[in-house]
Amino acid sequence: MATRSVSPGGALLRASRMFSLPDPIPAPPDDGSAGNFFSNTATLAFPTHQVITTLTSARKQGDWGLKRPLPLKSTTKSSNPMIRVKAIDTIEQVTDFTSATDHGMTLRKFQELGIPITMRRQGTDSSTSSIGLPEKSVFENEYDFTDIHPDKRAEALDKRWKFTGPWLAGMSQGEFNEWLAREVRPKRPQFREFLKKKIASETHGTLARAALDKGESAPPPIDPSSVTDDQLIDYVRKLRHNNQALYDMVGQFLDLAPLKPPTTAQLGLPSQNTSNLEYREVSNPYAEHGPPITHPSAGISYLRSSMYMENHPIYGPQKQHSAVMARIVRPRRQAQALPAKLGLAGFIVDTPLGDTAANSKSAAKDIYDKIDPTVVGGAKVWVQPQKARVDSKGRVILSVGEASTEAALVAQELIGNATCLGAPRGENELSRRGTTAGSLRARYRAAGAPPMSSAQDYGLRP
Amino acid sequence: MSCRQWLSSALRQCQSGLAHQQPRTFSTSTAVAKEYRGRNILPDRPPGSGSGPASRARSRARSGNINEALQVMVADGLERGGQLSAEEEQQVMVDSQRGLGQHLKDLRNHATTDNYLRQMPRRWRTGDVYAPRDLSPTEMSKWRQGRRPLKDVIDVFGFNPLDNYKNFSLISEFMTPMGRIKHSAETGLRPVNQRKMAKAIRRAIGMGLHPSVHRHPEVLRMARHSMPVSSIPQSSDSSQSRL
Repeated sequence: MATRSVSPGGALLRASRMFSLPDPIPAPPDDGSAGNFFSNTATLAFPTHQVITTLTSARKQGDWGLKRPLPLKSTTKSSNPMIRVKAIDTIEQVTDFTSATDHGMTLRKFQELGIPITMRRQGTDSSTSSIGLPEKSVFENEYDFTDIHPDKRAEALDKRWKFTGPWLAGMSQGEFNEWLAREVRPKRPQFREFLKKKIASETHGTLARAALDKGESAPPPIDPSSVTDDQLIDYVRKLRHNNQALYDMVGQFLDLAPLKPPTTAQLGLPSQNTSNLEYREVSNPYAEHGPPITHPSAGISYLRSSMYMENHPIYGPQKQHSAVMARIVRPRRQAQALPAKLGLAGFIVDTPLGDTAANSKSAAKDIYDKIDPTVVGGAKVWVQPQKARVDSKGRVILSVGEASTEAALVAQELIGNATCLGAPRGENELSRRGTTAGSLRARYRAAGAPPMSSAQDYGLRP
Repeated sequence: MSCRQWLSSALRQCQSGLAHQQPRTFSTSTAVAKEYRGRNILPDRPPGSGSGPASRARSRARSGNINEALQVMVADGLERGGQLSAEEEQQVMVDSQRGLGQHLKDLRNHATTDNYLRQMPRRWRTGDVYAPRDLSPTEMSKWRQGRRPLKDVIDVFGFNPLDNYKNFSLISEFMTPMGRIKHSAETGLRPVNQRKMAKAIRRAIGMGLHPSVHRHPEVLRMARHSMPVSSIPQSSDSSQSRL
């Protein structure tokens, strides 16, 4: 494809921030679980605006590539210059911008963890039953595709993540009523046409099979417009008594996201009321908790696997990935049945599952139970980030395990807080030997060797 | 001291059993012997020192001769019922002081934690993103006060309030504790739904289904169920009647 020639001025304008900044995406949906307690200035669960930065020299002049230079007082102090532009120009003739270090640094910290985004395993509803099971990357070719022919959309139902219709299980009753009135009701004539096409193809299929059995040539395809209204009414009546077939038709027509049928226990109805309902097995990984609102990776990690080994310069390949420090953002309150919440790389995560220190009630591990104001910087624990996924609301759900003692020790040694195997620290050894340039030169001269070349030899110094 | 109390009661029991010489006392004495075995009378004594009378009684009880064990135990109890030796008294005092100190320390820690948590009212949810600013007092104080709901709950749930005039928990939600209808600034309902809700409340009160002066008794009962027991005022509480 030949690129369209653009004038130099046009190319400059296109590349400018004024035109290349994307429109903000909608803010995370509020599910109302926080009740009436919320803050409208809290950091959102995902960024809605593009984060922009600039070079140091340009920043000193306030040049961020925007229409006008930004004030130096508020933009030159940060060591991580990141801003988000809410409006390039306003009626007051100012550029509306705020700091975007919150999301920018969170992204950097997350990418430092080096974990891929995985899909939820289908059929594992509770998180405890699937602690150690392997998961698939969201970038698997089998699941990661959006370019589907409209006629083949039904076939790919078990693999897709993008649907034009809503996920019915995630709608409240009021939303559902409104959707029915606004979106579905005007489409009745189109649905009848859709059903006529189905009837035509089904009758043609049976006729062709009968002809094949008799050894005759296949009949010509039936025109959907030749299907009579009586045939349609009969077909609709039949559909009404087969819930799965009806749902398949409606789901194909509206391109609904797949649903996982509830079990009898979840329904809470007497079994004679539900025994005449038939369900087909649904194997889409997003059927139970809803399809994602973005690409399932949300663009925060492009890694496909965490099956790599970390190498330590002295101790060699490590069994575990390096342990990370997590902040205890909120201690456990047993009276209110509130579990402890950890903060890892700027994300709130749950404490490790299973038989770990976070779940024991022993007094030795009361770091999870109390706030000790004497601890500088707040209480922190070493954890092992295991996997991450993006849920249907676009939030990043990290899961962590307890860090093994060795991994935590090696990680502590790397930041200089501990020594492994009793080995002296590298810098101590260096300072003890005292290998400075001056001492080297003195030793060289003492050995009686010819004079070393110096600045004087080259005539640089008198 | 609980150890001595227990011993004296055990002694009384055993003495009465021995005095009556009834075969029925075997059952009691077995239980006593078992308890004697299970419980370490002197916690500071290492279990390896087998020369004491307690270990003698234990070994005899294990051999099956319960009466003999009982007699040894009685003798032991008699001899232990006297004055505590000086070092034992000192040990007891140190133990109790240490326990009290630890307990006080725990209480103090708990109070400190509660005080700090009161300043951090945000209920974090998994997947929230936080920056240092979100942990600051300014930001945290915003999570303390309740605000009007952002969404009209009646639109979200898609029901007609007029059909729900018998639902006393719904009606109670939209009334103040003094029985007044809440303002739409508080309920967050749009005008149409606020009018319908107000009508449902008036209807419920007019039909005598809901009290007009306070919450519904069933709602009060449910609230009482979810409260911790200690905070429920007793009916015979004198401080209540003083009002």
